[in-house]
Amino acid sequence: MVLDYRLRSLPVLDRVILPGGFSYGDYLRSGALAAAAPIMDAVEKAAADGMPVLGICNGFQILCERGLLPGALLPNPGGEFICQWQTVRVASESPLFTGLDQGRVLRLPIAHHEGSYRVTQGQLAELFERGQVFLQYSDPEGQLHGLANPNGSVANIAGVKNHNVVGLMPHPERAMAPYLGSRDGADFLASWLGMGETVVC
Amino acid sequence: MLTYQDVGLSAYEEQEIMRLLGRRPNELELGLFGALWSEHCSYKSSKNLLAQLPHQGRFVVQGPGGNAGVVQLSADWDVAFKIESHNHPSFVEPLQGAATGVGGILRDIVAMGARPIAIADILKFGTNEKAPALLHGVVEGIGAYGNAIGIPNVTGSLGFSAVYDANPLVNVLAVGIRRHGLHVGADGARPGSVLILIGQGTGRDGIHGASLLASHDFGAETEEMRPTVQVGDPFMGKLLMEATLAIVDKGLSDAVQDLGAAGLTSSTAELAYASSVGLEIDVSQVICREANMSPYEVMLSETQERMLLSVPKHNLAAVLEILAWYELPYAQIGQVMAGDFLRVVAGDQVLAELPTSVLVGGCPRVPVKHGKRMGSIDQSGAVETGNLELAWGYQVLGHADCRDRASVYQRYDSMIGIRTVWGPEHDVAVMHLENGSPGICIAVAAPARWAEIDSYSGGIGAVAAALSLVATQGAVPLGLTDGINAGNPEKPEAYDKMAALIQGIGKAAEIFEVPVTGGNVSLHNETEGRAIWPTAAIGVVARHPSPEHPMADTPPYAGARVLILNPPTKPDLGGSVLAEILGRSASYPTLDVDAIQHSVHFLAEIVPQAEHVGLLACRAVGVGGLFVTVAKSLIDKNPMALGAHLNLAQDVDARFVFNEMAGQWVLFVDPKISPFWDHVSETHGVSVIDIGSVTDSPELVLTGGRTLTWPLIDLKRAYRKGGVRDVR
Repeated sequence: MVLDYRLRSLPVLDRVILPGGFSYGDYLRSGALAAAAPIMDAVEKAAADGMPVLGICNGFQILCERGLLPGALLPNPGGEFICQWQTVRVASESPLFTGLDQGRVLRLPIAHHEGSYRVTQGQLAELFERGQVFLQYSDPEGQLHGLANPNGSVANIAGVKNHNVVGLMPHPERAMAPYLGSRDGADFLASWLGMGETVVC
Repeated sequence: MLTYQDVGLSAYEEQEIMRLLGRRPNELELGLFGALWSEHCSYKSSKNLLAQLPHQGRFVVQGPGGNAGVVQLSADWDVAFKIESHNHPSFVEPLQGAATGVGGILRDIVAMGARPIAIADILKFGTNEKAPALLHGVVEGIGAYGNAIGIPNVTGSLGFSAVYDANPLVNVLAVGIRRHGLHVGADGARPGSVLILIGQGTGRDGIHGASLLASHDFGAETEEMRPTVQVGDPFMGKLLMEATLAIVDKGLSDAVQDLGAAGLTSSTAELAYASSVGLEIDVSQVICREANMSPYEVMLSETQERMLLSVPKHNLAAVLEILAWYELPYAQIGQVMAGDFLRVVAGDQVLAELPTSVLVGGCPRVPVKHGKRMGSIDQSGAVETGNLELAWGYQVLGHADCRDRASVYQRYDSMIGIRTVWGPEHDVAVMHLENGSPGICIAVAAPARWAEIDSYSGGIGAVAAALSLVATQGAVPLGLTDGINAGNPEKPEAYDKMAALIQGIGKAAEIFEVPVTGGNVSLHNETEGRAIWPTAAIGVVARHPSPEHPMADTPPYAGARVLILNPPTKPDLGGSVLAEILGRSASYPTLDVDAIQHSVHFLAEIVPQAEHVGLLACRAVGVGGLFVTVAKSLIDKNPMALGAHLNLAQDVDARFVFNEMAGQWVLFVDPKISPFWDHVSETHGVSVIDIGSVTDSPELVLTGGRTLTWPLIDLKRAYRKGGVRDVR
């Protein structure tokens, strides 16, 4: 179901997705205004109580702006929007994503103006130590290097997690069928939904 | 005292106004006439020409005259589509000019009750030092508005010439879908309904944008017109779109009109005229962003993100509930009555009252001038070249008009909405609607160089080029939209070129049996006496039989045969990139339109059964000719590093390799299914020649008397980086 941003409490739910999009026209900074929407108080509370929360693209930006995920998403280095297919490598496994093994490479689109993931000094090692680095931009073989980094994200980071809260810049919902260019997104979302890879779209 | 010159009218037009009214208009009324009788709103120079275009066809639901044309895609879906231009504002302020242009055409689609699902941009820029910054700003603006409200950029066309230095072209095609059978437009308002203005508060932005900025040539004083460019607010645009669609989906409004050029004036007058009703509007009820706005300013403001709804009283509560849910500002500004008038009041004071039959219908049109069709004869002869030089291949492929467009289209969101099966990395776009439904194939073409010397043939060629693109998918064209861009129509030469261009489009539309359901005319693209090339931006929407399985455009394996469908019998370099590089000017060649039409029908029959006849891939020959078309087939998505070996007749003929005559296709076919292709000329009456095969050696080789070899890696460099003009 789609929830109105004005809600101050959530109905009975299993999980929440903050989808991509250009909330509030990306005014001020991407996600900055939506992070202060009334419903975010309820989302924050639910997240604290352990509800799985997934932020995709603008949703990831909102979660960072809200402080539910570490780091921030800065404008791409060229100052330009980027829309292209990208491969990302699963950096660490999570009980929230059944069957999504470390090292797996997913082909997913990115489309953002502000996707350059950054952290404060010293925070990066901590993220890796705690296994919070979830996805990294890679080449199709899963190798991590500068050429595979589309937006200057530190350590090629494309997605991070904080216990039950997960955010990623790529768009799995745009990779749901071969005719769209990939169905890795369907596998990814099925994994998050605990459905293995059996979802047929 | 305001004079007719102040509002951009001629002395003759002022006389006509007085004759038709039987009195002198007051200042506000004069301002209303200035707006509605402007070139931008009235199409007075082109309307009689446009009337000659074929508008009828079996798929047409709504022809020209509404906010956008509508054609039937399937039993369930209609498609609304139209091209709009925002040329002048985009030169004055590229980012906001382009952004508000996108906002405007999207509102046109929404005003037809359709949800926009795709945008295509047709851009022309100059070659001077200003051009890169203009291009950068325009692309930013188009993406920042359209993508931000959820509409992907799925295809486009980009070209360069010094003639666009001071007059870049920013034309945008928008495509939307609505349920078949839903009728929404400006023509349904009934007496008794209430007029509601929704969206952005009205400000002083853009006053006289239509009558002065868009209807006159540029000159030194243009700089002062910067305030007449509006600023876009995509978030408000998104709310406006969603609220309007929610209202029309529930059938709560009897007429919808967006506010574009000339703002409240044109929207109210055109809604009244289209619906054959009278309107009374109270300017004191309009929500204003600025204090002390005069009625004149309120009526002529071009503030963006506004929509006018006519709502029957019994639906009012339901409409207001939707508006409140979207937190959209609104005001009841008037009512619909029986009659033929637009009455502007402030409280109980009548400020203006004009018959809409005069205000909208009375503008004197420029009669069609016959007998001076440009370029009906071949004035300049064919371009002769010497032996084909290796460097020409790199020069043409690396020419600004042929080069890889990734640096532009990657700055757009081409996938938002999740309907894009084929996006801007292909020559045509393929959109998926829902399982089991046909898809929408979208293509644009704007071959400007062609029309400068021979505008008539250029017009035919533009339509043929667009239709050739959708033919590669075996898609059935449903309708065309035309964006006409030309110089000052008061000058005979510019007028004649525009007239010939439109006549050429009409001729092609007639022969190909695809109607023109709407479009746009942008004139006065002229600065200090220098006009642009007459430029037709053609958009086509077609029914795609199997959107989940587009016909491929790259060969899958070595050994595939390379064929040309409908090669020209007399290849001619007129209007080509090579001719420009060689400094040869010649008119665009005359096309065999019947042969093209025959080939289009052949593809429509063959593509859906491609597997049975071994058709592996198909591409329309486009800008840069056969050479660029084959090179792009090898460069795009080619991890196998395939090459091609083409065997041409004696003496590799540059005219054959680089001509850009529309209506020819490169086909890649399975060598095992040869008999069909060997006899296709006899069985299907189309002309097909075998010119070679795909190889596993990464190079493009032409033989014919001698052998020329272009390594793929060098072709890729030219295509991706350009900058090979100096190679000689």
